[in-house]
Amino acid sequence: MEVGLSGIDYAVLVIYLAGTLALGVAIGWKFKTGKDFFLAGRSLPWWAIGMSLVASDIGGTDIIGVGGAAHKFGLSVANFEWIGCVPAMIVAAFVFVPLFWRMGVYTIPEYLERRFNVGARVSLATCWVIFMACNLGIMLFASAKMLNVLLGWDPTLCIFMSALLVGVYTMAGGLKAVVYTDVIQCVVMIGGCLLVLGIGLYDAGGIAGLREQLAAKPEHMELLLPADTEAPFPWTGILFGLALILSPAYWIGNQAIVQRSLGAKSEFHAQAAYVWGALLKIIIPFIIVVPGLIAVAKFPGLEDSDQAFPMLASTLLPVGLRGLFLAAFVAALMSSVDSYLNAAATIVTSDFYKRLIRRDASEAQMLRVGRIVTAALLVWAVGFAFYIASLKEGSGVYAIFQTLMSFFQGPALAVILAGFFWKRANGTGALVGFISGVICAVGLFAIDRWHEAFGWQPLFKIGEPFLYFSVWAFVVAVVGIAVGSCFGTPPKSQADLLAQAAQDRLNEKQQQEGGAAA
Amino acid sequence: MTPLHWIGDLIRQAVIAVPMGAVRALFVALLLGLLVWVLRLPKERTRPPLEDGSGYDEKSLSGNLKLWAALALGLMALIYLIV
Repeated sequence: MEVGLSGIDYAVLVIYLAGTLALGVAIGWKFKTGKDFFLAGRSLPWWAIGMSLVASDIGGTDIIGVGGAAHKFGLSVANFEWIGCVPAMIVAAFVFVPLFWRMGVYTIPEYLERRFNVGARVSLATCWVIFMACNLGIMLFASAKMLNVLLGWDPTLCIFMSALLVGVYTMAGGLKAVVYTDVIQCVVMIGGCLLVLGIGLYDAGGIAGLREQLAAKPEHMELLLPADTEAPFPWTGILFGLALILSPAYWIGNQAIVQRSLGAKSEFHAQAAYVWGALLKIIIPFIIVVPGLIAVAKFPGLEDSDQAFPMLASTLLPVGLRGLFLAAFVAALMSSVDSYLNAAATIVTSDFYKRLIRRDASEAQMLRVGRIVTAALLVWAVGFAFYIASLKEGSGVYAIFQTLMSFFQGPALAVILAGFFWKRANGTGALVGFISGVICAVGLFAIDRWHEAFGWQPLFKIGEPFLYFSVWAFVVAVVGIAVGSCFGTPPKSQADLLAQAAQDRLNEKQQQEGGAAA
Repeated sequence: MTPLHWIGDLIRQAVIAVPMGAVRALFVALLLGLLVWVLRLPKERTRPPLEDGSGYDEKSLSGNLKLWAALALGLMALIYLIV
């Protein structure tokens, strides 16, 4: 079903897009260094980073997909925003983010080299950059497909337009443009979804009316589902896979997320951003999941759950406000693509170009290379989006890549945790643990997917057991780190690393003062 | 059947036997445990440093991250308790 739009709706959308573009370009025109581009010159305030964290986390496909999952499976999908975000963000705020910020690193793999060795840095950087580069194409494709379904727009045009819009301001303004445009996108996204929620609840007769209409489907109102549920979110997967593994791995180890806190103006701002983000996260299920439940009551015979949110918007919102909903969708799309684009460019420039190709690269060269890499990644993403579009089962690729991400998220978290909490963990252990964890996840995936070829039962009883892959991959990685750390050279202590980082900062300051005096 | 299937079935049977009331209590306990940890954090980790570097701002209520983190976790515990 297409969302009918009027001229006023299109005007709202155009004003939003033009404003975002202008802000992004205005921010970046006077950048001079790589630090300006990748870490926003370490000038970002907590409120902007916090809103950017939330906006980056929720993509355009998530708004539609989470609303759809709520329509299909009920309230349990809210776990992904609540227990799957808030606790990990709070722990990150007080334990991990302060140390990353104090070390002055550009990327998480850079931290891993300081703590372990270059092998750990390159392994993780390679995994992340491959995943991010492919994910950029998938996000462009999935969003274009959704815009085609919702509005009847040409997918080719959607891919080019999204890439061009996001590319221009990300290339010009780097992290700073990404974060400040995310602030606008966060406001528009929350505002647009709040409208659908408010009008939808009014239409359903308030919360009491909604509860009454959903009385026939009591499982839709359950936040925690039993371990043997047919839905893909049993409490075991939510607790052990999501809350304890994937969520910390995401909020602590995902460069696209952590990078903005590395650009905070102080350690306190970096911490406060995560706490502010956690508070914002609490409201997200109310504005995305509850509309999915309203759709259950309003459209009981709806077969395609992904149509739930768009149908609500289409039937409930008046002219003008539909444009705001569309702007919210586009905002969610752009805020995720720009974050992954900037993060991937940072990893390529910092962990490969500066570390392996040109160690004496100046700040100006880093800025130039960063912009070139951003452009190259964008061209790749557009090409990959068209490649997926040419596949017969193009839409299935999105789910496959989410599973692929779970392969290395658990092992990556194990390596980071070992670096923080186990003094004896060394580079050999990190590498052995990471590789063995990834092999475990891939092995479980293969056994589960092709079990029939061996005449076996499926290993997991739920449809998409990626939450469980990450748990076992994490466990195996921990064992691998423990065993591997018995060999190889002893590691540097955390105190040594911090002392080194403080010395580096002092040297940098002296150089700047010397330059200014000269 | 492989040893992995056997281990999987064993774990599955064990977790299915856990009553949902206990599961809810586990989620709430996890959040409350985290809340207690946050409340016990020292002020150097939860408050902004003073501009002259002589200590930490202990007067500002809005600058007390412990308070806001506790609010987030408290709301979460409440949600998992009642929903």
